[in-house]
Amino acid sequence: MEIQEKMIESTKEIFSSMVMMDISVKQIMTNHGVLNDTITGMIGLAGTHKGVLAVHIPYDVAMAITGSFLMMDVTEINDDVHDAIGEVANMLGGNVKTILSEKGRDIDLSLPSTIAGAEYSFSSDKEVDKVIIEFDTGKGCFLVEMDLEK
Amino acid sequence: MGKNVLLVDDSKTMRIIIGRSLRQAGLDFDNIFEAADGLEALEVLEKEHVDIVLSDINMPNMDGISFLREKSTRDAIKDIPVLMISTETGDDIIGEAKSLGAVGAIKKPFTPDKVNEVLGPLL
Repeated sequence: MEIQEKMIESTKEIFSSMVMMDISVKQIMTNHGVLNDTITGMIGLAGTHKGVLAVHIPYDVAMAITGSFLMMDVTEINDDVHDAIGEVANMLGGNVKTILSEKGRDIDLSLPSTIAGAEYSFSSDKEVDKVIIEFDTGKGCFLVEMDLEK
Repeated sequence: MGKNVLLVDDSKTMRIIIGRSLRQAGLDFDNIFEAADGLEALEVLEKEHVDIVLSDINMPNMDGISFLREKSTRDAIKDIPVLMISTETGDDIIGEAKSLGAVGAIKKPFTPDKVNEVLGPLL
């Protein structure tokens, strides 16, 4: 699937150029179940394509990513972690928009937002085409999910 | 007198990374000012001497396009060049930014080399 390959390429580019981490694809999934001790960064798409792009990152991996992003030790889920993971979602959303859009004006992006918790579900009320990719950072795994309305 | 730059992005993380990229690219500024949206950016430009602005597009309160539009109406600051740094790099939105005075665009994610390639000739 072309969009899946481009999401993989975009995610790897973001992590190699901005986060200074080389990541690899662990598996392609169809469902991720309940999320535990995780932070989710997400951005909405509206227009010719409607949906949401989300990154689900376990706390320990999110702290490692933020530490690498900012070149400092991060030992708790604080505002810096929320901001960094929101920005990862923002960059991925921008790349997905470029993949799906003709000239950029037919799809609007929301501002990124984040949620975090000990146990929560992430699902869509609408019938969606779902792409979930699990990446391995070497310090743990995280998920990139795109749900597009059918 | 050295050069001053204003970084406009609602993400503190991104402002830190852009500042770091400027240093890694060998682009030394005397002062790096920061603003979290277009409204804050206008306030900084009215108060400080700024040689160039690096601005995101997708921001709360006042986005990058509205910032360019408002800036173009203020005589004291309208000629300060603005380079867009954004995930938004579609032809239409960058075309609109350029029609409002933006001098170019860098797509996120970026490398220090890319920042140097685009920003260097503007300084």
